[in-house]
Amino acid sequence: MVAANLLSPPPQISPQTALQLSQKAPLILSQSPTPSLPWPLSLLFSRETPETWTIHENLLLSALRTGDDTSARQILDRMTSRFGASNERIIALRGIYEEALAKDDKELTRVLDGYGKVLEVDPTNTLVRKRGIAVQKSLGRTQDAITSLKVLLENSPTDVEAWAELSDMYAANGAWGQAIYCLEEVLLVMPNAWTAHAQVATLHYLSAPSSLHSLSMALRHFARSVELNESYLRGYYGLKLVAQKLIPLLSESTAVAKKNAEEDDIPPPKLQSVKKLEELATGKLAEIVRQYGSGKKGWAAFDEAEVIATKELLDRDGRVER
Amino acid sequence: MAILGTALNAVGLLFLTHAVYSTHEHTATFAHTPLPLDITIELLTSILILSAGIVITSPELRPIKWAQWAGKMQRQGRKGEGKWTREGEEILSEGDSFAFLGLDSGIGGGGEGRRGFWDVRAKRKEYAEWVKAGGK
Repeated sequence: MVAANLLSPPPQISPQTALQLSQKAPLILSQSPTPSLPWPLSLLFSRETPETWTIHENLLLSALRTGDDTSARQILDRMTSRFGASNERIIALRGIYEEALAKDDKELTRVLDGYGKVLEVDPTNTLVRKRGIAVQKSLGRTQDAITSLKVLLENSPTDVEAWAELSDMYAANGAWGQAIYCLEEVLLVMPNAWTAHAQVATLHYLSAPSSLHSLSMALRHFARSVELNESYLRGYYGLKLVAQKLIPLLSESTAVAKKNAEEDDIPPPKLQSVKKLEELATGKLAEIVRQYGSGKKGWAAFDEAEVIATKELLDRDGRVER
Repeated sequence: MAILGTALNAVGLLFLTHAVYSTHEHTATFAHTPLPLDITIELLTSILILSAGIVITSPELRPIKWAQWAGKMQRQGRKGEGKWTREGEEILSEGDSFAFLGLDSGIGGGGEGRRGFWDVRAKRKEYAEWVKAGGK
C-alpha cells in the first residue's frame, strides 16, 4: 500500500505520514507549473495537469500540519498568482494558513472576524462559512458552531459534509436523537453510503445500549451496511455485537415485544433471523481475521487495530475457527 | 498478457492494412473481376486477430454488483496502476467514494474526512506532540 501520496492522501494521516508528505515540498516547489511566457505562448507550453493543483493543496495542508510555514507560504503564493486572491477556495486556504499561524485564541478570533467580513461581502461563500465553523469549534464554542451550521444547512440542505459534521458535533455532546436525525439526512442524499449506515447504527447502539427498539434499529442499519459492502469489517463487527445483545432480549421478552410492536412503527426482528445474522457475521469476521493473518495480498487493506479487536471479540465468544 | 495482446494487435493491423491495400490495387487493375478469395480470407483473419488483441489488452473488468465492488475496494485498498503525475505522485486506483464524509473514524475522530472543516490547529498540535515525544 502506498502510504504517502499527495494526490490521494490516505483516510488517516499519522504524524509520520504527514512528515513524509511535507518532505516532498522542496521537490515540488523547485519546478514551476505555470510558464513564464506571455499569454498566447503560455497556453502552448503550460506544464500544469488537472492533478497539479490537487497536489499543491494537499502539500499546503501537510506543510501547515508539520509547521513548515515558509513552504506553505510559497505554495499559497503560487496558488494565489494562478487563481487570483478573490477565488473562494484561495480565500479559504489563506484562512487556514492564518489559523495555523495564530499564536493564541485572541489572534484566532481575529481570523474569525475576518471570515465574518468576507461573508458580509459574499454570503454564498460556503467554504469560508465552513472555515468559520471549524474555528468556532477549535475555540471550544461548540454551541456557536452548531448555530452557524444550522444557518448553513438551512440555506443548502443537500450539503452532506455539513450534515455529517453537525451529527458528529451533536454526538460528541451526547445529543443522540439529533445526531441520528442529521445522519438520516445524509442517507437521504447518499443512500448507498455504507459508512453512513454503520454510523447511524453505532449512534442507535450508543444512545440506548439495552433498549429493544434502538438495538433493532442498529441491527437493521448494520445489516444494510454489510449489504452494501461485502467486506465491511466495522459492519460485521457491529452486526455481531448487536445481535449478541438482542438474542437474550428477544428470547426472554417475546410477550413484551408484541405489546411494544403496536407502539413502534417497525416491529422488532425475529429471533431466528437475528441468530442467522449473528452466525453470518461470525463466519465473515473469522474469514477476514484468517485471511489478514495469513498475509494474503488481496486482503491487506484492513486496519490492523480493527482486526485485533475483531479477534478479541471472536475469542470472547470462544468459537473462533482457525 | 500485455505483450501477447500488443503482438496480436500489431499483427492484426499489419494484415488489415495489407488486405485493404491489396483490394485497392486489385480493383484499380481489374475493375470488373470479383475479389480473389485470399484477400477476403486475409481481411477476415486480420479482423479476428485484431478483435482478440483488443479484448486481451483491455483493462480488468470491475465487479458489477455494488457490494462486490465495495468489498473488493475494502479488502485491497488503493494501489498504483503504473502511472505517475509530473510531480512524481503515483495515480492510484479508485477508493472509498464516501470517505469525504469522515464517518469511519468514530465520533470526534482524527480522520481526514470532511476537509471543509479541517481543524488545522488540532493537527498541528498532534504533530508537535509527536515530535516532542521523540518522533516514532
